[in-house]
Formats: sequence, structure tokens, C-alpha cells
Amino acid sequence: MASERYSFSLTTFSPSGKLVQIEYALAAVASGAASVGIKAVNGVVLATEKKHKSILYEDHSTYKIEKITDHIGMVYSGMGPDYRLLVRRARKMAQDYLLMYGETIPTSQLVQRVANVMQEYTQSGGVRPFGVSLLIAGWDASVNNGSPILFQCDPSGAYFAWKATAMGKNYVNGKTFLEKRYDDKLELEDAVHTAILTLKEGFEGQMTEDNVEIGICDENGFRRFTPEEVKDYLTNIA
Amino acid sequence: MSRGSSAGFDHYITIFSPEGRLYQVEYAFKAINSTGTTSVAVKGAETSAVATLRKVPDKLIDASSVTSLYAITDTIGCVMTGMVADAKNQVQRARYEAASFKYKFGYDMPVDVLCRKIADICQVYTQNAEMRPLGCAMILIAYDEDLGPCVYKSDPAGYFCAFKACSVGAKQTEANSFLEKKLKKKSEFSHEETIQTAINCLSTILSADFKPSEIEVAVVSKDQPKFTILNEKEIEEHLTAIAEKD
Repeated sequence: MASERYSFSLTTFSPSGKLVQIEYALAAVASGAASVGIKAVNGVVLATEKKHKSILYEDHSTYKIEKITDHIGMVYSGMGPDYRLLVRRARKMAQDYLLMYGETIPTSQLVQRVANVMQEYTQSGGVRPFGVSLLIAGWDASVNNGSPILFQCDPSGAYFAWKATAMGKNYVNGKTFLEKRYDDKLELEDAVHTAILTLKEGFEGQMTEDNVEIGICDENGFRRFTPEEVKDYLTNIA
Repeated sequence: MSRGSSAGFDHYITIFSPEGRLYQVEYAFKAINSTGTTSVAVKGAETSAVATLRKVPDKLIDASSVTSLYAITDTIGCVMTGMVADAKNQVQRARYEAASFKYKFGYDMPVDVLCRKIADICQVYTQNAEMRPLGCAMILIAYDEDLGPCVYKSDPAGYFCAFKACSVGAKQTEANSFLEKKLKKKSEFSHEETIQTAINCLSTILSADFKPSEIEVAVVSKDQPKFTILNEKEIEEHLTAIAEKD
């Protein structure tokens, strides 16, 4: 089916030295639903807005926050279908690493591999860049008796480690909010609380357990909150 | 971010426009509406049903060979809306994927896994320039042991989701408003109510009463998990029941 590939890249330099397809991909990300990641002393929290366009949609049939390995999870802002491809690849790469080295993949290694995939799509023939930015949260048990890690991957293939960040709609306000609220001694419970407040800043309408997804990564691994758990946190901020 | 002008190809192949949109995908959605038909799917307490218009383009065509309803496996069926050739391609692929899954893993492919697979294939077409997105949308229905009755929709953008009820096609906005109103009042439909809501939705948005030969209806339910296309007599019974209710 895809045996005849375009042999030239669609992402080429403009006269000013910019790769405009990547900039446009970032525009697609910035118009996507908001998501937030915060690193605490004892874990990382990922939170995202998940609004369905009508009541006909079945809540909780698809998820934005996905587990990649027992100790790594990720969330995105941007185009959902592109994200699914990256989730699949990330899961396979994690298993390949385990098969090759007999150890679970460190978060930074996974991030490097995923970012490499994203970079390939900016240079290979006949493909467009991914329209997603990823937030990858992990717990590295071998470093310092266990330490939390938060990375962001861009459509360009660049990746950055963050203490706290926001992506998607209203991300500038989100980041400003986090800069004020963040401190190095934050515990995971407070980080979840702060993440919800950050999402609330740009949220249209009422936040409920059906339109917000939260996931945490700590020494027990990565897990997504059930709607009941999300509801508890939401009632606490009210 | 500067509003640059596009290189001009963003309308022709699936690369990003300056605002971060994929025009080819948006045009694929318009192609779905070009055939003028609408399809509707509804989920009840134990039943899922789909209904669609049957448009026979020419009197000389053998009407029994014209259909938008396809069985993917014994228990999973779909209604296709949009360009016929693309639809047949997607159905064949779905059948292949379901059979391949059964062969490899030894159990029937669940409908949500199948829908995800079809949607992933659609996503590849939105990212590779050498293949255009398909101009059709697939609504799958099945009765799953764990999930109960299911309605899943996959579209040319590679997006998929489960629905309580959904519609695709030329009149989908009106159909969705109708379904939202119905679901606000009541969400647990009985077997008959599920089928009649689907048929009623079509007749309301098209402001027409049908003859049984003008629509196609298919059902899966807990008692009858096999994907069953209703024959004219059965459709007639439902149409009469709807008429009597009014």
C-alpha cells in the first residue's frame, strides 16, 4: 500500500531559515485541549481537559492519558489520531528495550526514542510532522532511591525536562500561573491540586469527573485516576 | 507566531496549513456529505441498531445489490456513509483485520479494538502524502459481552469514539440534535424503542414517510448477537408501530 513513497521531504527550509511545517504543527498543538504536568518531590501529575462536543459521545470509552510501561505514562495536546500512533510506538520501544537489556526503560531513554520518531517525520519523504506535543511522566527507581521525571516532546523532535508546564489552549496563562504557584518542596497531593487549578483557569463551563483526566506517577508506578477519585479532588477545590 | 502564507500545497496533500489545519482531511469530510445520504445509529439497554437511506441511483440497477450495510464478522456489522468505492475498501480491510485477529489470537476481535485499528489506518492516510484520506465514515455496531451494546464511529481524520447514538452524512447536524433531545429524556431504550428511534430520526430529518424498500435497518442485541439486516416485512412492522404511536 505505501510501497511507493515520495522521495523528497515535505518539510523544507523557507528563505528565512525556518521550517514552516513544524511551526504550523505547533499551531495545531496550541489549538488543542489544555494539558498540564507538574513534578513533585514524590511523584509527577498529568492532567488534561477532555471535553466531548456533544452528550451523544460515550465518556470514558477513549482516554488521553495512557500508560506506556508500569512506571511511565503520557498525555498530549493536539491531534488525537497522531497521538495514538506515538503511544503504540512508545509501548513497543519500551518492550524492545526490556527484551534487549533485561531492564525496564529509563524515562529519559524512552523520551529520546519517541522524540527521534517525531524528528524523523520532519525529515522523511512524503510525511508531515506530528500535530501533537507530549508530556511524558516517569519514575526512575534506580536514581537517588527513586526520582520523578517530567519531559515534553515537541513536533520538531526537541524534548525538554520540566518542573511544571502547560500545553495546548491558553498555555501562556497556564505557565504564568504555574511559575507563581510552583515550589521545589511540593508534595504529590498538592501538585494534583495545583494541576486542577491550572486547568480551571482556562476551563469553559463546569469541571466534572467526566471532562477531566488525571494521572499520577510515583514509586508505585503510573496510574490513571478513576472518575470517583477525580471527583474527590474536584470537590476539595470547590 | 507569524502568519506566514502557505507554500500552496496544503490544499492538495495532507500537510499543515499556517493555522495548523489539514485541509485534505476537512475536504474528505465534505466528500462524505456529497452522496446526500445520512446514516443513524442508536444504542439501547440491550440493543444497537443502525438505519440508513437506500438510494438506488438508476431504475435499471438491481436494487438488492445496493446496500450500505455490511457484516464485518458474524457479530460485528457496520453502516458506511460516503463514497462507495472508498467504503468498500474500508469494509474489506475491516473484514481482513477481524479475521487476522481471530487467526492470530484465537478469539473474536472486540468491536472497540477493531474500530481503533480502522481509525489508526485512517490516521496513516492523514500523515502520508502519497495516500489521500478515504471519503467515508464507518459506524460499527455489536453486542459485546463486557461492554454490552456498542456503537463506534470512525472518521477520515483517524478519530474514533464510542457513542450512545450518532449520525453521519448530509443531514447529520439535524439528526444529532434529534438524538440529543431523545437521549435527554430517556437513555435506556428497549429493543423496539432502539430500532424505532433510529427509523424515526431518519424520517424526522428528511420530513418524509418511507416505504420499507427505501431504508435499510440492521440490529444486534443480547438475545440475537448476530448482525441481522431486517427484511422488508420487519421494517414494515416497525414503520406501522411508529405511525400508530403518533
